[in-house]
Amino acid sequence: MAAAALSLSWLTAGVAGAQPRPAPQAGQHRGVWEVGGGVVYLAGYDLGERAAELTRNSTSTSVGSFEQFSSDSRITAVPGLQARLGYYLTDGLVIEGGFRFLRPVLRIRLTGDTENAPDTSAEETLSQYVVEGSAVWHILPLAFAGGRGVPFLTGGAGYLRELHEGDELVETGTTYHVGGGLKYWFGASRRVGVRGDAGVSFRDGGFDFEEELRPVPTAGASIVFAF
Amino acid sequence: MRRLVAVSLAGLIAWVCVEPLAAYLKIGTRVGTRTVNLRWRDFPIRYFVTNRGVDGVTAAQFQSAVNRAFNTWHAVETAQTSSEFVGFTPAPPFDDDDMSVIGYLDRPGQNRTLAATTFLIDTVSGEIVESDIFFNTSFPWSTAESGVTGRYDVESIALHEIGHLLGLSHSALGETELVGSGRRVIAAEAVMFPIAFSPGNISDRALKADDIAGISDVYGTSAFSRASGSISGRVTKNGSGVQGAHIIAFNPRTGRLIGGFTQSADGNFVIASLDPGPHVLRVEPLDDGDVESFFDSSMTVDLDFGARFHDRVVTVPRGGDANGVELRVMPK
Repeated sequence: MAAAALSLSWLTAGVAGAQPRPAPQAGQHRGVWEVGGGVVYLAGYDLGERAAELTRNSTSTSVGSFEQFSSDSRITAVPGLQARLGYYLTDGLVIEGGFRFLRPVLRIRLTGDTENAPDTSAEETLSQYVVEGSAVWHILPLAFAGGRGVPFLTGGAGYLRELHEGDELVETGTTYHVGGGLKYWFGASRRVGVRGDAGVSFRDGGFDFEEELRPVPTAGASIVFAF
Repeated sequence: MRRLVAVSLAGLIAWVCVEPLAAYLKIGTRVGTRTVNLRWRDFPIRYFVTNRGVDGVTAAQFQSAVNRAFNTWHAVETAQTSSEFVGFTPAPPFDDDDMSVIGYLDRPGQNRTLAATTFLIDTVSGEIVESDIFFNTSFPWSTAESGVTGRYDVESIALHEIGHLLGLSHSALGETELVGSGRRVIAAEAVMFPIAFSPGNISDRALKADDIAGISDVYGTSAFSRASGSISGRVTKNGSGVQGAHIIAFNPRTGRLIGGFTQSADGNFVIASLDPGPHVLRVEPLDDGDVESFFDSSMTVDLDFGARFHDRVVTVPRGGDANGVELRVMPK
């Protein structure tokens, strides 16, 4: 949380120090900076089921493993904070750097104990930090409302860092993301707007029970400022 | 100057503890007010095999099975152990003869003991100086590759006893049922479980996660110490410590089960040799075997509580300890 706040205040300072520029018009953004901050939502996902298995004392009537209890693990859906800083290389293409902070919960449902231990959900809260870079392509031919509304597509990659409860174990990885969204600018100056986006983030590494690339749906909403 | 003392441990089925204390997966001996873990200091462990066969198993077949069992322990990558077969000997096991001898003995009176291990130890350092293993001729034995119905598998039982020889105590990772005056194993997930699988079963030729954790705890490489971690804490009932509780650490990522015990009245426990990452803890009373199979008979073990899970995931740090865990149990 502290890191997110620090990042936002740094971005705000950058805005305050910027030189005044003419209001950007539709299709005329080259050389403009854009800063934004808001909320992000990470969809939950299953980590899978795993039984606590003992080796059965095989006889002619019973073979295989003996399940002492079973576990079903899941990362719960969680909201978080995000901030971005972008630069219009051309009127339609932006490169941007971003930061996300979330606190997903690992929930492990424990059931079916052979000695009747009550079913339990064991939990821990993770701290997830993502620093990422993206390319954003604004689809100017589809702009509407006099150029105030502009749809876009985005894609990029980032560094993932996750800390378990107590911060005693760090797991790192890479994220890749693709998605799209919409920006809508307000007022005559068109310096302030909102941005909504949705997409899929592919996690490679970090905390997971599997080695494979894991797709995770994400969505976000931000207030953006152009200068 | 070393003080040497001979101690004995029955291996499977029954276990009589003379001097040592059962510690977490390890065998300890009391030196003054402290407990010293038993372990070998010098490798390879040099052992002899008694030149005696029994019905269905020649001395050479017996030696081959014992050798395979030693090699299974030595193959654990996270621990450093080694042994050397010196040769056959007419000497039986259990003689105080400065030789570690493995072989058969006639013990018809010990009708619940398949095999047992004894030690000659330095009670100052905990160093194991000599260790013998006997196999009871009162039981039918086999070394057949696929096992033989009605006969106990020498390699499986040797793997358990060599675990003792290396300094490991019993594990409680198993479920049993009462049959007549004894217990039958339903399932187990440790070669070091004190009750053997049924005759003909060869499942215990392979070490389980709990066994590997135990041997790595005693003889672990420095790289393993840096790469693994532990969980420590306390089991309480109505605010007081619970003695003799069995705790299982379950890794939901790998499915590995590793056990430990509370060994004192304050209910403290440590489970070491765990993979870094989240673990689930489960605590249960020690009700799947004779208490004497795990602890000194003088120790009072609390069995009056029900099994339960801890409601927090405990994350094991790499090379460190997740401490301060409190597992609260309720009277039955």
